[in-house]
Amino acid sequence: MKLSRRGFLGGVGAAAAGLVLGIHRASGRAVEVPADGELAPNAFVRIGSDGVATIVCARSEMGQGVRSSLHVLVADELGADLAKVQLVQGDGDPRYGNQDTDGSSSVRGDAFTMLRTLGATAREMLVAAAAHRWGVPAAKLVARDSAVHDERRKRSLAFGELVAEAAKLPVPKHVELRPFGELPHAGKDLPVRDAPDQVTGRATYAADVRLPGMLTAVVARPPALLGKAARFDAARARAIPGVRDVVELPAPSAPIQMQALGGVAVVADHTWAALRGRHALAVTWDGGPNAGYDSAAYREQLLVAVRAPGEVVRKVGDAEAALARAARRVEAEYVVPHLAHATMEPPAALARVDGDRCEVWACTQDPQGMQDEIGKALGIDKSHVTVHVTLLGGGFGRKSFPDFAVEAALLAKRAGVPVRVQWTREDDLQHSSYHTHSAQALVAGLDADGNVIAWRHRIAYPSISATFSADATRPSTGELSQGVLDMPLAVPDISVQTGAAAAHARIGWLRSVCNIQQAFAQQSFIAELAHATGRDPRDMLLRVLGPARALTAADQGVAKLPNYGLPLTTYPYDVGRLHHVIERVTDAAGWGTGGRALGLAAHRSFATYVAVVAQVGKGRRGEPRVEEAWIAADAGTVINPERVRSQLEGAFVFAASNTLHGAITYEGGAVVQRNFRDYRLLRMPEAPRAIHVELVASTAPPGGVGEPGVPPVAPAIANAWFALTGTRVRTLPFIT
Amino acid sequence: MTISIKVNGREHTLGEIDPEMPLLWVLRDLLGLTGTKFGCGEALCGACTVHLDGMAVRSCVTPVERARGREVTTIEGLSADGDHPLQKAWVELGVPQCGYCQAGQIMTAAALLAANPSPSDDDIARSMAGNLCRCGTYVRIRAAIKRAAKGTP
Amino acid sequence: MSRAALLLLAACSAPAPAQPTARALPAVPPGQLASPVAFDAIADRAARSRALFGEIAKVLTHPRCVNCHTPDESPRQGDQHVFHDPPVARGAGDRGVPGMQCTGCHQDHNLELARVPGAPGWHLAPVAMVWLDRTPGQICAQIKDPARNGGRTLAQIQDHLARDPLVAWGWSPGADRAPAPGTQAALGLLAQAWIDSGAECPP
Repeated sequence: MKLSRRGFLGGVGAAAAGLVLGIHRASGRAVEVPADGELAPNAFVRIGSDGVATIVCARSEMGQGVRSSLHVLVADELGADLAKVQLVQGDGDPRYGNQDTDGSSSVRGDAFTMLRTLGATAREMLVAAAAHRWGVPAAKLVARDSAVHDERRKRSLAFGELVAEAAKLPVPKHVELRPFGELPHAGKDLPVRDAPDQVTGRATYAADVRLPGMLTAVVARPPALLGKAARFDAARARAIPGVRDVVELPAPSAPIQMQALGGVAVVADHTWAALRGRHALAVTWDGGPNAGYDSAAYREQLLVAVRAPGEVVRKVGDAEAALARAARRVEAEYVVPHLAHATMEPPAALARVDGDRCEVWACTQDPQGMQDEIGKALGIDKSHVTVHVTLLGGGFGRKSFPDFAVEAALLAKRAGVPVRVQWTREDDLQHSSYHTHSAQALVAGLDADGNVIAWRHRIAYPSISATFSADATRPSTGELSQGVLDMPLAVPDISVQTGAAAAHARIGWLRSVCNIQQAFAQQSFIAELAHATGRDPRDMLLRVLGPARALTAADQGVAKLPNYGLPLTTYPYDVGRLHHVIERVTDAAGWGTGGRALGLAAHRSFATYVAVVAQVGKGRRGEPRVEEAWIAADAGTVINPERVRSQLEGAFVFAASNTLHGAITYEGGAVVQRNFRDYRLLRMPEAPRAIHVELVASTAPPGGVGEPGVPPVAPAIANAWFALTGTRVRTLPFIT
Repeated sequence: MTISIKVNGREHTLGEIDPEMPLLWVLRDLLGLTGTKFGCGEALCGACTVHLDGMAVRSCVTPVERARGREVTTIEGLSADGDHPLQKAWVELGVPQCGYCQAGQIMTAAALLAANPSPSDDDIARSMAGNLCRCGTYVRIRAAIKRAAKGTP
Repeated sequence: MSRAALLLLAACSAPAPAQPTARALPAVPPGQLASPVAFDAIADRAARSRALFGEIAKVLTHPRCVNCHTPDESPRQGDQHVFHDPPVARGAGDRGVPGMQCTGCHQDHNLELARVPGAPGWHLAPVAMVWLDRTPGQICAQIKDPARNGGRTLAQIQDHLARDPLVAWGWSPGADRAPAPGTQAALGLLAQAWIDSGAECPP
């Protein structure tokens, strides 16, 4: 049983990449066997006799630009003319290796090399075929514009003319990659591939897929996690015109893991009938083990936990002794509530079942996990489950759970016709997976000169591991490695401790995950230390982070540095790069020039370094408004700067929503929030007038892009608000 | 009851229909026009925005009865081939990320520009305040509306 | 208190006209309006007129009414008068702005599943007719002022209160919204009685 599918927790990435490279033409699946005269050295690239290269995108598109970028990298290595490239969205298929789109891992680490190798492999085979035909060394030939060229003799052979011969050659195990800087398109701004379809309504999302004879279902789900229907009266529901059936779904067992949530489904001819049917349903719920969950009371328990000594997870020197002799102490407690992803597209999936086979169209971040879970739910082999990945109207980690598609599969099996399950906004807010609910207590000891000589950080929140294992009661090493174990601190005595916290909600991954609260607390606290010692916050931040250096587990005082599953040799935590983005962003924002309320925060996550300056003001009703933002990011080598900038802009607004408005609360085991009136998101009038993004030019290996823009935002806003008002907000959201 | 409505210039006769059925579900489920999106069902997010006789309405709360004898325009009918100045500006500036909200954003912006070809930033903020974008593309949306308003493609 | 007791009380009171306290009027259950007849106990015409308006004001100051009689860009929502969400703007004609007109979301009737309130001609009262955070006296003065009441006569005002379908919504607001007290018909009778008694305004 996997605790998690996130590469950074289990180091799955490296093994998966090797697996993909080892897969050649032969396969047991009819769909991917190349036709005669086609070149298909791996599952991702196929070149036909017409010279068209079909490239598979094996990651889910949720706005981060994988469908605009990944295949371009492959095509550039291949030497293809982009006009002769077709993009295919990969179904769930282990032959693609890791298809889990999370952890900002579509390019970083082995994925970057793997993508390039896919194209380079086909290139070398085509070049070898041309070299053989012409009787010249391959090294004298170049692949460009979907042809192999002998520049000296001014002759060319189009890819299409070479594939038949190339297909007979052995697939090379070692290929030479082109220097990244010489690639024609990758590394420059690329067009947003799906934008023309998105602005005309042609883009297909999960709820848009239609099959003849399909029915639509909406589900009434237990208000509390692991509750179930005690009894229900379907008479009025069945009387609604268009309602075909009312079906009880199986109740899940603890722990919830990737299971569907259970409940009562109304299956109907179309969505409106199903909605009316559910509205007419009378269900009495058996609350289950989490029926008593009250998040306000739980917060108090978390605070109790962090006010007492905990389990030590990071230790340098003797923090207690240093605190005892400190001239002064600064203390603060920080609370971040549960958060919901609130993707604009509520989850939806269409399934059809035919005997022991199931076919699904879904907005999933993890199609292989979905195959697995549907296989279990239907009692069929997961290789008999086909998962087609549609565009996602937002993911942010929610759509790594396959529950909504499991529901569709179960209902399709029972109905004997295709069934689409449609989640409403209420369903999405009340039955999502949620960002954890956390409390943190920070204490710093200062000497007479205001230097930080001691740092004690106590942390408590229910772990994502609890979703998968009943005995997980503390944050995992993976979660702590998101900004705590790897936090650079030039402090001689450090103690980081965790408290116990049980989970009563389905805790999941929300864009940048535990970096959210861990960056919020630490970056806010450093600004508080600046204030306490009369220092400029930027100077204090640089001082606390310490000198440019590569962090080691030993120096950090931890057993190991998981580093998002990346080797420290190629992806060191380089504090100098964090300094650099701090300097770039404060420069851009005109830090220190006076007259504006600015807040600064900087954080490395998923191997990317991001610094943010936020400028805040007050709205007409005295509420905090973010007026302008500056971001400097060092993501190493970047395939598509345009999508990286858009991700950073978007991450700022996403995080600002969470910081200013976002809170999911529980009473009586059930989520209180129902729709966008009580789970508010930033709207255009509240958005900054400008978000300035600087991408540091770098040839370092690529870091993640989708998530790193999030963690520095909450503390930057809190620090700016303090600069404006002198009020320190330590409990989010700002506006309840 | 039977209702006839005109959508993107075509007449559709809908038999045996609940007159309270929201136009959104008529468009998506009965007519196969899936460009208009479902985001909240309570007129809070704007993803379902269409035009009714040129006025922007939220189709998730518009009973189909109200469209009787009126002209409905959806994102599919906003232009012949994606060449409305807003659609072009959206593509040029790389506005969409996940793209799910954008049809609604464009329909609202189109209603704004039809009534006010030179909107100020405040005009834009007021008219677009009802359209949510979780990906956070507001800054680019505003820029694209201004670009389209200026008429420079 | 019985009618006989009221007459006895009146007979025993001092010769100068006195303003009876609320205790002298029959108690009205919450959520209801007293009928005009109950105010006959107030002998002084002007005092009775003011008291009638006080009863009318229970409707006019109710959240269902004041939430659209606001002084600024925005309607309010709920019994705590929070700013309308999604944020909407009044617009030049009190009917919203392009892209976000009132009737773009509000239908001519309440919606059950979506919980959006609706009535024919949904729109904001002009700024001049602000009732939010106003006293009954201030509202009364505005209602009587042709410069601020849309140029209406008192008879037209009575007709508006008694029969306008948007006003009617206040008593059938739908979802879990608390209705205004009484009924539109009762309000109409009170308004007529107020006019008949001289349309006096409370201070």
